[in-house]
Amino acid sequence: MDAAQRPEHRLIGGSIPYIEGPLKVSGRTEYTDDLKRPGMLVGRLLRAPWAHAKLLRVDVTKAREMPGVFAVLTGERYPTPFGVLPITKDETAIAVDRSRYIGDVIAAVAAQDELTAERALAAVEVQVEALPEYTDPRMGRTRVDAPIHEKGLNHSNIQKEVVQHFGDVDAAFRSAAATARVRASFAGVTHAFTEPQCTIAEATPDGRLTVWSSTQVPHYLHRSLSEVLGLPMHRIRVIKPEVGGGFGGKSDPLPHEIACAALALETGRPVKILFDRDEVFYTNHGRHPTFNDVQIAADAEGHLLGYDIEAVIEGGAWSSFGTVTTYYNGVMAMGPYRLPNFRYKGQRVFTNRPPSGAMRAHGGTNIRYSVEVALDQLAETLKLDPFDLRARNALPPNSTTINEFRITSTSFLKCLSAARDRSGWAEKWGRLPYGQGVGLGCGFYISGSNSPIHFTPKMPQCTVHLKADMDGGITVHCMQADIGQGSNTLLAAIVAEVVGVSLDRVHVSPVDSDVTPVDIGSYSSRVTFMMGNAARKAAEALRDRLLEATHQLTGYPRDALRVGVERYEVEHRPEVGVSYMEALQQAMQGTGALQSTGAYTSPPVGGTFKGARAGTAPAYSFAAYVAQVSVDEETGSYGVEKVWAAFDCGRPLNRLAVEGQIHGSIHMGLGQLMGESMDYRGSRLMNPSLLDYKILMPQQMPEVECLLVGDADPEGPFGAKEAGEGPLVATLPAVANALYDAVGVRFYDLPITPDRVLKGIDRRRAEGRSWKGH
Amino acid sequence: MTAQPVLRIRINGHPVDVPAPPERILLDLLREDLNLTGTKRGCDLGTCGCCTVLLDGRPTLSCLTLAAMADGRAVTTVEGVSSGPALHPVQQSFVDHGATQCGFCTPGFVMTAVALLRDHPHASREQVMDAISGNLCRCTGYTKIVEAILAARAAGPA
Amino acid sequence: MHLDPFELHRPETIAETLALAGRLAPAFDYLAGGTDLLPNYKMHLNVRPHLIALDRVSELQEYTLDRIGAMVRLADLDRDPEIGRHYPALAEAVHGIATPLVRASGTVGGNLLVETRCFFFNQSYFWRASLGFCLKADGDRCHVVPQKEKCYATFSGDLAPSLMVLGASVEIAGPDGVRTIPLDAMYEADGDGIRRVRLRPGELVVAVHLPPAAQHLRSTYRKLRARPSYDFPELGVAVSLRRDGDRLAALDVAVGGLETYPRRFPAITEPALGQGLDPERIGALAQAIQAAVRPVHNTAYPPDYRKRMTGVFVRRALTDLWDRRGAS
Repeated sequence: MDAAQRPEHRLIGGSIPYIEGPLKVSGRTEYTDDLKRPGMLVGRLLRAPWAHAKLLRVDVTKAREMPGVFAVLTGERYPTPFGVLPITKDETAIAVDRSRYIGDVIAAVAAQDELTAERALAAVEVQVEALPEYTDPRMGRTRVDAPIHEKGLNHSNIQKEVVQHFGDVDAAFRSAAATARVRASFAGVTHAFTEPQCTIAEATPDGRLTVWSSTQVPHYLHRSLSEVLGLPMHRIRVIKPEVGGGFGGKSDPLPHEIACAALALETGRPVKILFDRDEVFYTNHGRHPTFNDVQIAADAEGHLLGYDIEAVIEGGAWSSFGTVTTYYNGVMAMGPYRLPNFRYKGQRVFTNRPPSGAMRAHGGTNIRYSVEVALDQLAETLKLDPFDLRARNALPPNSTTINEFRITSTSFLKCLSAARDRSGWAEKWGRLPYGQGVGLGCGFYISGSNSPIHFTPKMPQCTVHLKADMDGGITVHCMQADIGQGSNTLLAAIVAEVVGVSLDRVHVSPVDSDVTPVDIGSYSSRVTFMMGNAARKAAEALRDRLLEATHQLTGYPRDALRVGVERYEVEHRPEVGVSYMEALQQAMQGTGALQSTGAYTSPPVGGTFKGARAGTAPAYSFAAYVAQVSVDEETGSYGVEKVWAAFDCGRPLNRLAVEGQIHGSIHMGLGQLMGESMDYRGSRLMNPSLLDYKILMPQQMPEVECLLVGDADPEGPFGAKEAGEGPLVATLPAVANALYDAVGVRFYDLPITPDRVLKGIDRRRAEGRSWKGH
Repeated sequence: MTAQPVLRIRINGHPVDVPAPPERILLDLLREDLNLTGTKRGCDLGTCGCCTVLLDGRPTLSCLTLAAMADGRAVTTVEGVSSGPALHPVQQSFVDHGATQCGFCTPGFVMTAVALLRDHPHASREQVMDAISGNLCRCTGYTKIVEAILAARAAGPA
Repeated sequence: MHLDPFELHRPETIAETLALAGRLAPAFDYLAGGTDLLPNYKMHLNVRPHLIALDRVSELQEYTLDRIGAMVRLADLDRDPEIGRHYPALAEAVHGIATPLVRASGTVGGNLLVETRCFFFNQSYFWRASLGFCLKADGDRCHVVPQKEKCYATFSGDLAPSLMVLGASVEIAGPDGVRTIPLDAMYEADGDGIRRVRLRPGELVVAVHLPPAAQHLRSTYRKLRARPSYDFPELGVAVSLRRDGDRLAALDVAVGGLETYPRRFPAITEPALGQGLDPERIGALAQAIQAAVRPVHNTAYPPDYRKRMTGVFVRRALTDLWDRRGAS
């Protein structure tokens, strides 16, 4: 444990219960749907029942005339395209001319109540001409008749193609003593947060628009609203109430948010759009359905010589984060191993299915699976222990990858040792009875994208303002989006720690663009690192003012003073000092409330070639997981009994939150591995419900032992790195490799459902290959 | 238009009279008519468990219950679990153990757990997992929720 | 989501219920626990203008070990240790239904009459409209087995197979009085798949009867599903037997979750009576039942897997029951 570190800090490094916990357990937290505005109307969206169609006529005349209907909008009213990435804006609030998937928005209505709104939608008359449907990303990669978007590469459905080559991969494979190859397919999975999307918008006679929305990135929503609606940003106010989970699914600005604002502008009345659960599934933006092909070359001692990777990922109807995803499906293989040669070809292809986007461990999950399974195969070929193979290739600290990622801290070797020792690997691997096994999977993930999605370059990624006033409280302002991960608590704890006050003095302001300075939101595992640094700077600035006041009151020089608890005192004479309130009152003389600012801008890192910024980060997390499984060979069902999760998040700031992130990541990763799947027949999603989309139950969760072995990161706040996404990626290959140890079968199609396990065992037996005597 | 039936429901200890048409769902009555928004709407189809309330003490999916069925009966929502400013031991344990992340499922879990520990003050880990297997959580992997409920056993009046 | 307006009727006796039913048929549904009906109504599936709520009919809520009222809540059976002691298959089936929250409201009658399920049917109105609807609701063709004659939606109740192998019968009240028939006779075996039960208009399932002999059976219910709660059966296997020394004195097997109705296999099980069971005979019985079932692709797991698991589940259940110590 970190007992040695604890005395250094009062709060940081311990287990800090979430500050909003008492509100959440008593139902007092306000999510968007809990809010009401006077005169509020119900907004509903008409969704396209066709996979791909040209909209010949969308006639809303009858709908508009119905009593109780206040507005019906179609696409041409606000046709300006938007999108989370400035370079690929291709979504519209409401479809213009064409609908691209079952569930695409083709009209929006505001009415007095839900029933009236639905009747109005039913009265909208639409005439369409069917267009060819594209439902497999492996098709549509050459010239097609009716590409889903005009800008597709060479009149095809390819949204983005990435080709990268570092070193000489062909030479590496020619000189290899051993190679391994994994060709795998991955069903799409979705975030399945418990709170359905909800937005309220209200336009007021002072010319302003206020939007409350369940979003992870209020700032991107703010930008998109401004662009599409043609209102300057300063006349738009974005408020983020409490958010009931996001996992990436609420990080894009979404069509309904803009449509809701448009309805508010049109009617002059507040409008709320709340999704039914099936609409959450259609809106998706989940993990890309993926086909990848990973080849690895190594020398006779197991030193990695090169990777040769191809990936085809399914974008669905829109670009979303897809350009980034396309890069990530290659470059997230750059760690945690040293690699001299690397080649990647990735394509993201549009289909007439719900859009893919960013989901927890975005772009890293599927490629990590294939790489880590291939490494397990390589170890077997070379007769090496999988741990030894990994340790032999570990990226050293303070190094640079072949694609010029800057690696600073890494405790990957410590992760390996901890996972190996705690799991009893030496006694278990290859030695458990048939049907039982252990496997190793390792992780690598960005601790915040170094390259912010900013429309104005050179702005900080995060700014924090503090206000300390006569009541003795400190209010923290920052547009960071707590979506349950505990960033409010972290903000408060950092401020309380640095300023030296009790946690209950610190109040984190609700996110409100009128008040809170910009932070670019909860995605890319950036919040702890970036917001944490900004908060620390702001708190240090405030602390310095209070120390200055202490100097004025005590006469001791600044450098002789230290921060106590609710008190500032003389380092060598702690009995001499002043209380926080005394210092605060002194500091406020002539100025009133104290204010301070801190900001974070990521350092200049990465190469200069095309695409070099993708995957750059100020730091990276590392992981080594061992999973133990038990398989029923007759039914193919299996359980994951335990996961030893050794994780390098640098120095954990809130142990409770880090453990919670690891548990949640393992749950979500296991879900993708064991059963979660966006099931399509052609263009049609078959399971848009929480009954048929199968989130794991408590009985399916393994016991998890969190091994937080990271050393402090030199640039992270108090030495911390991310723990929100990296903990997911090692889960899947660890279990797959454990299944191999258990029954001698490799699985290349996810999810690994019991019927697939059984088929795998059948196939192995048909090949005449026995495993552990079976 | 005929007058709507008036339901008399004892909500969190207080009898209230509230008009409601027959098709009114209890969840909607609570959230829309009575402004008790602690009870959450996650799926509206009886799957997520976010809308769990106690109906005559029994954990019940309010999204699949006609408001009319609560006529003459007692409904406890998350707002009524504790009296006064102090939290119920189950609630306090959820706070202490980090069993809430986004918190949207939390009211449902709290209601389920309160009823479980009332009926089984010494519930085993298996009983706890069994009892919560109708409430979905996407954040915590359930681990800290189970820990919190187990810890609340000792802290409770039992 | 909202419900379309309907008229709600709340009788307090069976007689009142039948009178209402006689007057309103066929424009009504009975509302028991609501956990099956109300999701379907929210999705606008076969909505009717009248609901007759049964929650105030106290006669339907009575239960003893011999007679279980149709409105007995599943949770009440679940927590009754006597059920587990006397009818293991029933207790296992009850405990496996949906979730604790669904069982709190769900009823015995509701599970026996649960609407058959299909992933072309249990969808929102929007979803179904996008496909042009199906034979079971608002449309004229089946998307599972493309044709226009028969619906292939899967019977997904857990209680029926377990009660069948316990020899249960069902008490039905109607305009012509009360009749009691074997439970398996209530289910339509060779119809169009739409008419699922052999109930006459206005009839009401009042109770399930269990014969005294049921308490002397070894029994079990095994359920295949993706998760340990929530999911409807991808396969449910109920087996009962009575062992007389080394001879099989009674044997019954019923399955659910595979076809449009819960199904027994007397032609396979009856010839086995009078003999002993050994792994070979058990394997042959399991194979015969596996060969007889015809699942289609309208649930989460593929039909070939569910079929194969039928054999595994029957074999395991038979093996366990035959070898079980302490029981009769």
